[in-house]
Amino acid sequence: MLACVAVKSSMAEYWNIDPAFEEAVNAFISKKPEAGVVLEFEIGERDFVNSGKGSAEVKNTLKRLGIGPEILRRIAVASYEAEINVTAHSQGGKMESFIHDELIHIRFTDKGPGIADIEQAMVPGFSTADDLVREMGFGAGLGLPNIKKNSDALHIVSAKGEPTTVEIFIFYGS
Amino acid sequence: MAEKKYFHALQILDDNCTGCTACVRVCPTEAIRVRDRKAAIDENRCIDCGNCVNVCQFHAIIPRSDSLELINKFKFKVAIISSSYAGQFSEDVSYPVAKQALLELGFDEVAEEAYVTNFVIRIIQDYIQEHKEIRPILSSNCPAVIRLIQVKYPSLLPNILHLEAPMSILTRYIREEIQRTKGFKEDELGVFLIVPCVAHVTAVHQPEGAYKHLQDGAFSMGMIFGKVKDHIKKIQNNPGLIDTYEKGLTWALSGVEGEMVETPEIRTLSVNGIENVMEILSKVEDHYLDQYDYIVLRSCTNGCVGGCLNIENPFVAMSRIKKLIKDAEPFDFDSSDLDNLYKEGEFAVVPLAPRSIMELDKDIKTAIKKMKQINEFLIMLPGLNCSACGSPTCYALAEDIVQGKATIDDCVVLLKRHTKEED
Repeated sequence: MLACVAVKSSMAEYWNIDPAFEEAVNAFISKKPEAGVVLEFEIGERDFVNSGKGSAEVKNTLKRLGIGPEILRRIAVASYEAEINVTAHSQGGKMESFIHDELIHIRFTDKGPGIADIEQAMVPGFSTADDLVREMGFGAGLGLPNIKKNSDALHIVSAKGEPTTVEIFIFYGS
Repeated sequence: MAEKKYFHALQILDDNCTGCTACVRVCPTEAIRVRDRKAAIDENRCIDCGNCVNVCQFHAIIPRSDSLELINKFKFKVAIISSSYAGQFSEDVSYPVAKQALLELGFDEVAEEAYVTNFVIRIIQDYIQEHKEIRPILSSNCPAVIRLIQVKYPSLLPNILHLEAPMSILTRYIREEIQRTKGFKEDELGVFLIVPCVAHVTAVHQPEGAYKHLQDGAFSMGMIFGKVKDHIKKIQNNPGLIDTYEKGLTWALSGVEGEMVETPEIRTLSVNGIENVMEILSKVEDHYLDQYDYIVLRSCTNGCVGGCLNIENPFVAMSRIKKLIKDAEPFDFDSSDLDNLYKEGEFAVVPLAPRSIMELDKDIKTAIKKMKQINEFLIMLPGLNCSACGSPTCYALAEDIVQGKATIDDCVVLLKRHTKEED
């Protein structure tokens, strides 16, 4: 399958797509349409004070566009969890939200240190969070499973020692 | 959908308005714009929180409340006082004297919101237990919060406590009680509220949700304060015997209401101040606060004691009321009639309709197009958020331009830059 980001051969790739959206996601990826609205946020390493502001902004923007409350909630939860992940586990990165006519595509890119085993990271309860992160009330090992549960498609590219890219696709009509 | 006219208890006096934009900047729903150097309120967006009243230095935004002469139209006049009333007087004035002063002012009876506090706490607890499928339940007493939810968080409308507010329950109780015991007819009896905030004045004139029993008028605490003080001076040395219900005054304080509703089965959270309320509602939307059974939400600082029509500082008023509660004798307000009415479902209220005004367009594709245009204008604007154009932020101006309500020439900073370039 064609991915939205270039995948180095040494990197592991993970896809989870709701079968109902497989065709739509593939069509979207091959077409690479230009987004109507793009929102960008820097995410600082361990910056828990500002973490969550990016996803809040995305939610407020989508509200202005008239996206229904249930879809809005799924987008808000998935993007918030992913934003927290970048804050808690990476050396910082960015969040880019591409708002299209029928879906939102959110891409998180960080500066490493990468996920050693993506399949293991997807297991509910598995966490590599350290004490500081746990003290902040995070690190329950539910971040990625929650993102998976709330998105129509989830794409992760990573490897130990490499940057990680997490992409979320959620259709407004899902 | 037909445009519905919303009543608001706020009035802008053009003669006093300097167009300073202080109100524009503090409005939580971005409902105010200054155009042609005068402020104007968008009736669909205004939630009657009173922030603009507090911030206006020029007395250009005036709370509308009824004139006191209104009571003379009725044979029997009842005042219902909000619990925050008790916190407005200096400590040498006892609460019974402050209450008696209202009788001197011309009312035949003065009732306290505090009478029904215990009853209302009980029915709230019952409602929470009966509606386990909805979490968290959101308090319905603050009319500004309810309107905020209608306007900005419509997905949370089902979470609102669908029960009448204490003032509304009490109004019904008093009407029936006085007609029965004193033999007055419905139209001979006038029931009035002494209120701490603009939102409650609005609720009297346009009852919705938790406010379904209509009163005949609402008087602002600030408006009657001077007259009340005069009467207090006259009676202070020789006060009458007046019963008061200090133990029920908790309703004026958001934190205390939460504590009273809390039980081992019911976990509560108390939030006050409109900015905090918005942050919490946003988290409730995303289901991050589902662990709470009940959330008390009050638009004003510390709850109703922070209302913009009050006289005393909200912290001082809170401290006084807490002292009154602490020193008070326990009381028993016989609420068996109310209990029966509750069992019959009499205090249930109809669900509220959303007032979704935040969408840029009904059609999502058009909305995205508009947002794209907004972003294009935003890049051109200086990003100072100075409000000199009359819109609260550069983003709001960009939006106003796209919606045809302003032009890029409204930006004073750009205009100045262009003038310099031309020189």
